[in-house]
Parts: sequence; structure tokens; C-alpha cells
Amino acid sequence: MEHERRSRSGAAGAGAAAHLRAEGIVKSFGAVRALRGAHLEVRRGEVMGLVGDNGAGKSTLMKIISGVELPDGGRLLLEGREIHVRTPHAATGLGIQTVFQDLALCENLDVTANLFLGHEQTAGGWAGCLPPSLRPLRGLDMEEQSRDAVAKLNVRTLTSVRTRVGALSGGQRQAVAIARAVRAASTVVLLDEPTAALGVAQTAQMLDVVRQLRENRHAVIYVSHNLRDVFAVCDRITVLRHGARVGVWETEAATPDEIVVAITRGGDGDETAADAA
Amino acid sequence: MPRSGYADFAARLHRIREDDLGQFAPVLASLLVIWAFFGVTEPAFLTPRNFHFLLMQSAVVATLAAGVTVVLLIGDIDLSIAAVAGVGAAILAVLITNVGAPAWIAVAAALAAGVVLGFAQGWVIACIGIPSFVVTLAGLLGFQGLMLKILGIHGALNMRDPMIRGLTTVGVPEWLGWLLAFAIILAAALVLVRINRQRSRRGLERMETGPLLARIALFAALVLAAVATLNAYRGVPLLMLILGAVLALLWWVTVATPFGRRLFAIGGNPESARRVGIPVKRMRIAAFTLVGLMAAFGGIIGASRYASVSFNAFAGGPLLLEAIGAAVIGGTSLFGGRGSVWNAVLGALVIGSLGNGLDLSGASAADKLMVSGAILLLAVAFDAATRGGRAAPR
Repeated sequence: MEHERRSRSGAAGAGAAAHLRAEGIVKSFGAVRALRGAHLEVRRGEVMGLVGDNGAGKSTLMKIISGVELPDGGRLLLEGREIHVRTPHAATGLGIQTVFQDLALCENLDVTANLFLGHEQTAGGWAGCLPPSLRPLRGLDMEEQSRDAVAKLNVRTLTSVRTRVGALSGGQRQAVAIARAVRAASTVVLLDEPTAALGVAQTAQMLDVVRQLRENRHAVIYVSHNLRDVFAVCDRITVLRHGARVGVWETEAATPDEIVVAITRGGDGDETAADAA
Repeated sequence: MPRSGYADFAARLHRIREDDLGQFAPVLASLLVIWAFFGVTEPAFLTPRNFHFLLMQSAVVATLAAGVTVVLLIGDIDLSIAAVAGVGAAILAVLITNVGAPAWIAVAAALAAGVVLGFAQGWVIACIGIPSFVVTLAGLLGFQGLMLKILGIHGALNMRDPMIRGLTTVGVPEWLGWLLAFAIILAAALVLVRINRQRSRRGLERMETGPLLARIALFAALVLAAVATLNAYRGVPLLMLILGAVLALLWWVTVATPFGRRLFAIGGNPESARRVGIPVKRMRIAAFTLVGLMAAFGGIIGASRYASVSFNAFAGGPLLLEAIGAAVIGGTSLFGGRGSVWNAVLGALVIGSLGNGLDLSGASAADKLMVSGAILLLAVAFDAATRGGRAAPR
């Protein structure tokens, strides 16, 4: 049933084992079968593109990996061990961070507060006798760390981490959301249409940020409609169609036309066809 | 692209609001205007005696407004605060007057009642998922009835317990007032300077020395002027010290702890808050519980100040709308995510000053209501305008 395009793309999949692997994920919403046994894998230090037409199941798969939705069937493996991601919090605990298209930032809070939202650092010592959520915040420590985190992403235009997120541009917000995803001890970063709302210059900057994540040995899943961005930044490309994987292509060995055909018509003898049979 | 005059104006307002002092600027300005106006028209307004009464009159509203700020921050509202205050005051009065319980037990029972009522409403709102407006509206009606039931057929009980009365009648000695004033100013200055020094050592943005000193000087001037004025009449009221400490604690919890940070996050974007793992339900229950506690505390202050507990002074009167109005006039957003305890206190002073000044000038109840309505409308319009400004730069 599994039909990876290794023959076509040369050495794909050889060497490093997958860091995160989704196997045979099934998910229905009422009568709609959003995912029909979808597969996806990503290694560390790799950017895996995830493409497909509207309704192919990309966002459902993202939501399952990030704990927003529970799968009806199939399993998730992290470093070969099966994991159960029942809540977004559980995903975070496993080192899986998601940057959703809407970024999930609080515009009324500043950059630092957003970076540490839900995981604020608090003082120890005498404060240890207080309940955790009433201990004094270590504001200056967090501000220092967020300044360094933002600096690492090379966002030159973002000068102050005390700026409220509501006052930032789209690209800057995207960078803040990504900085939040990688600030935690995360190994997997899911990016959902990160360039959808950005202009040309900001898109280039964002792709640099994604390359930076690869340099830092993150396993990146990059969901996008924009094939040009996908070809610019991804190492491999997974194509989804009708809730199942058509195949995996090495970016260097693939052409955009090939991918477009896979997105719109599927492949010969692919998983979709096998499933339908 | 040429911007419309309104958008330009809104953007300018928005920039003012960005500054940390700026969030107090509108309410401080309206307070100054009101004081200047009545100071000129009513010779009795700017006197130490009137200042004392003004503060005491505003105390209950300020307590409830500071409490309701906590739920306004998460974008909810609590319409039952005055009724909860009434229930607390009624329990206090019945326990002391009819049962003969010691004052501290009665106070503890009143506060506990506030906690229970707040928790119950928070639970219904968070776990059953009914909008807070509806639940607390039901609470408003239900707790009004509860208050009447507790008070019994008389409808009013006198409060003669010396300890409860002392809360609002005792003033601290002149020297103690000055001592505390200097201690508070010194502590505030030390904290500010220390933080600024740490910031510059870590290479973080720091405040320039000029503005820093100006802030400390402004704070010192306000505190010293207040103490001097109060000492010229009866000394600093004990209530001011207790209330100041409680409000300072509440403020600290809302700005310097993860709990407070999460209140703002839920108000700013509840979906984001949920996704980063903030327990939104528990936070809402905690927020409503906190409001219940503050409301009961306000009820105790009210019982002490009026020397009696009656339906009309609490649940049945204008207390609820004054408290919510005070929070909004102070600059706390009804849409969640922005506001502060001190804004609520300043808003309460605005409402208190208006009422006090209009009383002195012999205005009718009708005039008072209409002026209060106009001020409230102005405050909400300002809130909406600055929200528009916030969206503009995108």
C-alpha cells in the first residue's frame, strides 16, 4: 500500500530515520471522511512540505498532530515510540509546536508576554510557598530571553520586545509566533500557511526564518498552497489528495508540474487509489 | 492615502494610550476638570472636610469597581456585584445584631458568602457555557431576593458594632499618616530605581533618568498632598490604609503574576489562550470568585459607612451601575484585555466627585443622573475610538 517515490527521486528516505511519523491517520467529521489513512513523516533538520488542494485534509492532519483534534484511527510515532496527543498542551509537552495561520497571538500583550504565554517563568525562593500561578513573574529574565530569541530569527525591523503585538506588521507577528514555537524545547515545528498574509519582502524574510529552523535541527512541517515557497524552502514534499498521501517527492528531483499533477489528479497506483479500491 | 480626520484623531489617541502613564491620562484629566470646575463654582468643594467625605463616599464604589475589573479584563461582566455586596452586608448585620456573633466571625462569614456566590456563578458560566451577562443578571435578581430574605421582614438593620464602625470612623494619628506616606514613597522610588538599574545592567530598554524622576516626583506629590489634606481634617482614615493595601495586592496579582497575565490573555484572545494551554475555564471561575470576594468586602465597608444595612443602599440602589461605570470611565475596556485596578479607583473618584459636587451645587437627582450618563457615554466612546486606532496600523 505504501508507495513512496524513492525510485523517482533517488536517495529519498535513505539514512536518517523519521523523527515524527504519522501512520494511517483516519478522521471523519460526521459523514465527511477528512482523512482516509494518511501518512506523513519528517526528520530532524528537514523541512517537509505538505501540499494538497482545499479539502485534501492538510489542516485536519495538522490539527491531529498538534492535539487540537483526536484521530479516529492510525498512530503517531515520535522517535519510533507511539505518542498520544490528546490536547494542545500534551503536544507542547512532547516538543511539538504549531504556528497556526491565525498565529494565536494576544494583540493586547507585548512580544515578551506572548512568547511566554502559558509558560511564564516565576521566581523561586520565598515564593515557593505560593500557588504556582500567584508567584511573581520573572519579567526581566523573560524579556532578556525573548530579545535573544527574536534576535536569533534575524527580524531586523522588530526593535523592542516591549511592543504590543497589535502594533506589529504581519511579518513581525509571524516571526513572533515562530519565535514562540521554537522558544520552548521543541523539536517539531508545524507551520500553517506562514506566508499567506505576507508581502514579497516579508515572505523572503519568513523563508529565511524557516531555513534558520532547519539549521537549528528542528523537524519542520510546512503547509502551504504556494508551490514557489514550498520549492524554495522544503527538502521533501508530501502531497495529500482526498485524505490520503499521493506520495513523497525530493524537492531537488521534482518539478512544480509534477506536484501540480499529483495535487489535482493523484498519482498512478497511489494510496488514494489503493484506498478507493 | 489621505486619512480622514477621525482616523487621524483616533490614531493620536491610540498613541497616547500606548504609554504606561497614558492609560491614566484621560481619567486623571477628567478628574482635574471636575475638581477645577467645582473648585471654582462651589467654595466648599476643595476643602479638607469635603475631600475626606469624597474619599469615604467613593470607597464602596471603588472596591466594587476594582473587583469587577478582574472579570472585565477577561471580557466578561458581573452584574451581581451590588447584590453580592448586599448579601455580604446582610449576613454581617444579622450575625452581629441578631445572633450576637463577634465581629471577626461575621466578617469572615460575609467574605465566605461572597466567595461562594462568586464561585457558583463562575462555575455556571465556565462549565455550562452561559454568557456571563445572563448568569449574573440572574444572580442580580436572585441575590437581591436572598438579601431581603436574610434581612427579614424589617428590611433594614442598624450596625452599631464598634469594630465594624471603626473601619470607617477611625483616623490614624497625624504622625503615623506622614510616616506611612514617606515609607510608601520611599519604597516605590527604590523599587523603580532598582528595576531601572537591573534593566540597564542587562542591556534592556530602560527609562531615562528625567522621566523616571518626574514619575517619582508626581507620585510623591500626590501622596503628600492627599495626606496633608486628610490630616487637616481627621487624619488619614483607617479605611484608606486597609483599602489601599487590598487594592495594591489585587493590582499586584493582576500585573505581576501568571494568573494576572492570563487574565489579560483571555481577554485579548480567548482562543489563543486556550491553545497555549491556559486553563480558561478554571481562570474564569477564579476571576468570578475573586469578584465575589471583593463585592463582599465592599458590602462590609458599606455596612460600616452607612451604620446600617438596608436593601436600597446596596442591591436595590445605583451601586451596581456606578461600579461598572467607574471601571469603564477609569479606562478599563468592556471588550476585555485592557484595564487596571487603579483605573477603576480613579473612575470611582470621578463618579464620586461628580455626585459630591452636584450635591453641593444643589443639583437635582435628575441632573445628576443625566451628567453621569453623559460622562459614561464619553468614556465608552473614548474606549471604542482607541480600539479603532489600534486596528489602524495593520
